[in-house]
Amino acid sequence: MTATEVIWWVFALGIVALSAGVVFSRSVIHSAIFLIGSLAGVGVMFVILTVEFLALTQFLIYGGAVTVLVLLALMLTRADPSGRAEKVNGPQAPFALLAGIAVAAVLLVAALSTEWAGTADSPASIAIETISQRLFEDFGFPFILASVLLLVALVGAIIVARQEEGE
Amino acid sequence: MVPLENYLALSAIVFALGVYGVLARRNAVMILMSVELMLNAVNINFVAFAAYLDPDRIVGAIFAVFIITVAAAEVGLALAIVIRLFRNRATANVDEAATMKW
Repeated sequence: MTATEVIWWVFALGIVALSAGVVFSRSVIHSAIFLIGSLAGVGVMFVILTVEFLALTQFLIYGGAVTVLVLLALMLTRADPSGRAEKVNGPQAPFALLAGIAVAAVLLVAALSTEWAGTADSPASIAIETISQRLFEDFGFPFILASVLLLVALVGAIIVARQEEGE
Repeated sequence: MVPLENYLALSAIVFALGVYGVLARRNAVMILMSVELMLNAVNINFVAFAAYLDPDRIVGAIFAVFIITVAAAEVGLALAIVIRLFRNRATANVDEAATMKW
């Protein structure tokens, strides 16, 4: 086993364990903390796949912005300040577990039973210049659309969450 | 080099955990976190496929950039809706916001 494989297994098991923590933990705050770890682990996966730019984006946007937003929303929507244990799962939880197992089974069978044509050569890392060139040349219109989408979503978020007069 | 199947298996497991979280949880913010898990599983898949099967190894990474963008927009908007729901109904549980349920 090479060093890369050891690192891969450590972080893969870490991601799975932290993701399980997100969905099985009884405390929402613990879930959010586990989520930070899981997203950072995915960033490490991107480093192993030699896409450093994406790893940076992952750490910045997911590790920083998204988790801070989620934590803030959790703090703002504490329904019960007394800390009384509330049911975190609905009555449908056993069926949700079945659905999750079914999805995992289908995806795993499909992924592992297919003969993939790709070769596992050790790749050189992708330069940020290459990514930006392709992004702005071939994907220029989707890029602009994405920026408009972000703008509309943020304006909409402000309008939705705004405190109105006389409320 | 880790084989492609390992990445696919990892992403399948994380995605399934996200599916369970979305379906089982009551708190809207928890559902949102599970959706983030699913989006990240998809991102792993995109980048792994790009690294192993795509000759110039770029397009999958660019798709992942777009997914991250859309996920950020989605989180911002959804959390605004959750905060609005909490202000109006004093709950963030999706099964208690059932006014429009038939």
